[in-house]
Amino acid sequence: MTGEWIRFVLAALCMALGLVFMISAVFGVNRFHHALNRMHAAALGDTLGILFVILSLIIMKGFSMDSLKLSMVIVFFWVASPVSGHMISRLEAMTDERLGEISVLEKNNGIRVQMDDQASMIREVSDKKRKKKKGGKNR
Amino acid sequence: MELIQQAYDLLMTAAVVILAVLIILSIIRSILGPGISDRIIAVNMIGTMIIMITAVFSVWLKENYLADVCLIYAMISFLGVVVLCKVYTGVYLQRKHMKADLGAIEDNLSRQNREGLDEKEVQP
Repeated sequence: MTGEWIRFVLAALCMALGLVFMISAVFGVNRFHHALNRMHAAALGDTLGILFVILSLIIMKGFSMDSLKLSMVIVFFWVASPVSGHMISRLEAMTDERLGEISVLEKNNGIRVQMDDQASMIREVSDKKRKKKKGGKNR
Repeated sequence: MELIQQAYDLLMTAAVVILAVLIILSIIRSILGPGISDRIIAVNMIGTMIIMITAVFSVWLKENYLADVCLIYAMISFLGVVVLCKVYTGVYLQRKHMKADLGAIEDNLSRQNREGLDEKEVQP
């Protein structure tokens, strides 16, 4: 009886960890503003989330043919997910016209800036940096 | 034995409900997403969460063939993402080349007009 409960607690811990990873991945995808940042959150959260959820299912079921199939799902997903992530980020890098702009958010003396203002501020900062670089080369 | 069965049912129900809510949030992102790559990212995540739900159901309902469904769904989701990426890369490149071709036609027309003007100026 205690063995059953230990197994249940292990499975519940793994399931909760996987769900936490998935929740943080969806939060990141909804929260970030650039596609490559979203890519980062989605790829990491997917990989770890599916690992822990299926690990908890394998712990519940014990060793059998079905848990072997479930572990095959993990193996295939770990091979396929980086490839699809690489394809998506290559699509983004190819089609985004303004990818080279530096998108560092600077704190404007503690004032919270709205997103449109942030975008214009980023553009101004990157323009200043470019001008400085060009001026240095000319001198 | 009854108690542990109830605990397993509660765990599975909570996992499936949370995953369903996350799928709805991802659908919202895939509608709102400004670019095409944001939508593809959201669709990829929806596929992953559907794989998880299918695996949970295969253990919960003790239907063993759902594990095979899970594996096949993973393969088809990967294939779909790769095909979408290839297709949208091709669409982007085609639009770019079409833009370049239109620009070339305009340049050619303006140059022809200028040459015609030059000839007219030269003739008298």
